[in-house]
Amino acid sequence: MNRVGRPTPRIDAVARVTGRATYTGDVALPGMLYARVLRSPHPHARIRGIDLAAARALPGVRAILTHENCRVVWTSGDSRRPRYLFNNPVRFAGDAVAAVAALDRHVAEEALGRIVVDYDVLGFVLDPEEALQEGAVEIHPGGNLSPDAEGKREPEVYRRGDVEAGLRSAERVFQDRYTSVHHNNAQLEPRVSVAQWDGDKLTVHASTQGISNCQTEIAKDLGLRPENVRVVCAYMGGGFGNKNQCHDFDLMAALLAREAGAPVKLEFTRKEDFVAVHGRWPTRQYYKVGVSGDGRLSAIQLRGYSGMGPYRKGSGSIAGTELYACPNVETVIHPVHTNMAVSANFRGPAYPQGVFGIESTMDQIAHELKIDPVEFRLRNLTRKYHDELPYTSNGLEECIRRGADAFGWKQRWHPPGADPGSLKRGVGMAMGAFSARLGRSSAVLRVDSSGRYFVHVGVTDVGTGAKTTMALLAAEELGIEIAQVEVVSGDTDRCPYSVGESGSRTTGFTGQAVVTAARDLRGQVAAKGLPRPG
Amino acid sequence: MTEISRREFTVGTVTGIAAAALPAVAEPAAAALPAVPRTAIRLSVNGVDHRMEVEDRWTLAELLRDHLQLTGTKVGCDRGECGACTVLLDGAPVYACSYLAVWADGRAIRTVEGLARGERLDPLQQAFIDHDGPQCGFCTSGQLMSARALLDRNAHPSGDEIRAALTGNLCRCSNYERYVEAVLAAAHGVGGPRRP
Repeated sequence: MNRVGRPTPRIDAVARVTGRATYTGDVALPGMLYARVLRSPHPHARIRGIDLAAARALPGVRAILTHENCRVVWTSGDSRRPRYLFNNPVRFAGDAVAAVAALDRHVAEEALGRIVVDYDVLGFVLDPEEALQEGAVEIHPGGNLSPDAEGKREPEVYRRGDVEAGLRSAERVFQDRYTSVHHNNAQLEPRVSVAQWDGDKLTVHASTQGISNCQTEIAKDLGLRPENVRVVCAYMGGGFGNKNQCHDFDLMAALLAREAGAPVKLEFTRKEDFVAVHGRWPTRQYYKVGVSGDGRLSAIQLRGYSGMGPYRKGSGSIAGTELYACPNVETVIHPVHTNMAVSANFRGPAYPQGVFGIESTMDQIAHELKIDPVEFRLRNLTRKYHDELPYTSNGLEECIRRGADAFGWKQRWHPPGADPGSLKRGVGMAMGAFSARLGRSSAVLRVDSSGRYFVHVGVTDVGTGAKTTMALLAAEELGIEIAQVEVVSGDTDRCPYSVGESGSRTTGFTGQAVVTAARDLRGQVAAKGLPRPG
Repeated sequence: MTEISRREFTVGTVTGIAAAALPAVAEPAAAALPAVPRTAIRLSVNGVDHRMEVEDRWTLAELLRDHLQLTGTKVGCDRGECGACTVLLDGAPVYACSYLAVWADGRAIRTVEGLARGERLDPLQQAFIDHDGPQCGFCTSGQLMSARALLDRNAHPSGDEIRAALTGNLCRCSNYERYVEAVLAAAHGVGGPRRP
């Protein structure tokens, strides 16, 4: 290969170091208004009334939305029941109560301070296990165990073998409890959306990993045809996994812009990002693990609780047990509603918290059995997905062996307590995994009469260099210089569908589409030459 | 009162129009807006003198981004934590989100847009490209300005001195080592110390 595999500056590097890269918050449109959101200070409250008179009287205020005049459902905000942009009751501290568009952000902020909300404060519950106890505050009718996809109020269960028999037959049984907390995405770019209407056509400048998802979801929630929604994201200040759907502020900006008859830029403060945008779901994980006399696993039982907040935006799964070979496994996961901030997808959605739990458990078992933790993993890791379906390829065992050699594991590892001094040093090991779902991919390549090639892909570059990767793949396959390639990306009006920059799929999926299209185009150019001018 | 040069006058006028344009679009609003304390200031931004009236509540970041259209300066946290908004104030790095525009009266500001001379990049900018400093790129302007301030007062810093100078600039993509390598390369050239 001539291009791929060689150090190549990012094709947009100059824009990134000169301040010319246009991030969503940098978009400024003529006559643009600024919008801010008022949020509930209470984790759970019924709104008796909202007095907007003083806010409306403030010169410069152009539009105000509340649950009283806006009944738009944010579909991707909850997969189980309608979640409105503005909900009553409010169900977490940070739930949106009103959005105001005004001539500038200071006026919008001042207007928020003039909105008077009459709250009937309700009881609340924050801990997922407490939320399941009898007598706990009910966040939605029917109890706090979030229903499954069929609407049944049952935990998510996975079973193979007979876990009770596996525990009975074990030489030793170990029990552990691990807790992980809510994590915020904390991308450096603040949340922002800029919406503009041209008749029935809506353009949203979003900070999104998935322009296509964003487009179809905005169209659905606002009752528009998808082709009448254009989503643009030229540059974005970090993805980290929680930006592959449209966010509520994309919809709010669009609705405020329609109401006010002017483009609207809706900005969140950093604090709003922390409280009002979903993070990684917190978990509590109870493990019961049986081990046979030869140090092999005979049973793994996991009872888990995931705090989803009051809306079901993500799966709440707890992954990791599939790393191990074990005949008897049972995982029972409870996705639970609480009055905490909302939880959903964030970088490897179910893995970091689950791997933390299972690997901490296994490490403790190895320690108690006085088995080298690397040896314990090698003895018990699986070569099949969920110990059932063989992987097409799996280099984990070789990776561990070679990694341990390269690291000098045998020399550097010692059991806890082996170091007598007050200063302790230790090394450890853990396995990890990530499973990505499949999805469609597409790319359109064009060439003009001067031999300039255009690669149209729906990717946004979250910082991984995706635009450059696509240009490199095209240049490689076409046998041309990367300078002859222009990448057109991040614009639903100009790019084909993309599954979005999530699940580590961009290079493997969209990249494959670029390669396939480039091969086709190269053949066409070889057969027919470049297109004639004009 | 000093004389207004043609350049200052033009810039001041353009800025005035830009500031007045927002209210004018939807209503004859300037008069209807609540009276907000304003102050006339003059400042130099990237070598261009500006004379303008600012609202006392505007931060320097707002002035640069919303009223001078210099959006290379980013606002990440808006509370003096992340450093994305770092600009140079009379050569010293400041967080533009936590510095009021009125305080900039009589001062010289340098932003990321003022680093390159035409198409000729600052050596730091070239080094940032060569070492793949920017990933998402949102912290990059701030990193560049903190690094520029360092090199202006210490042309040949050590790796530790660079780390100390960039300590107020967060990078969520965690590309810290490449930023340090890039500054080292810009300061010492290709023959300089390779390991930070």
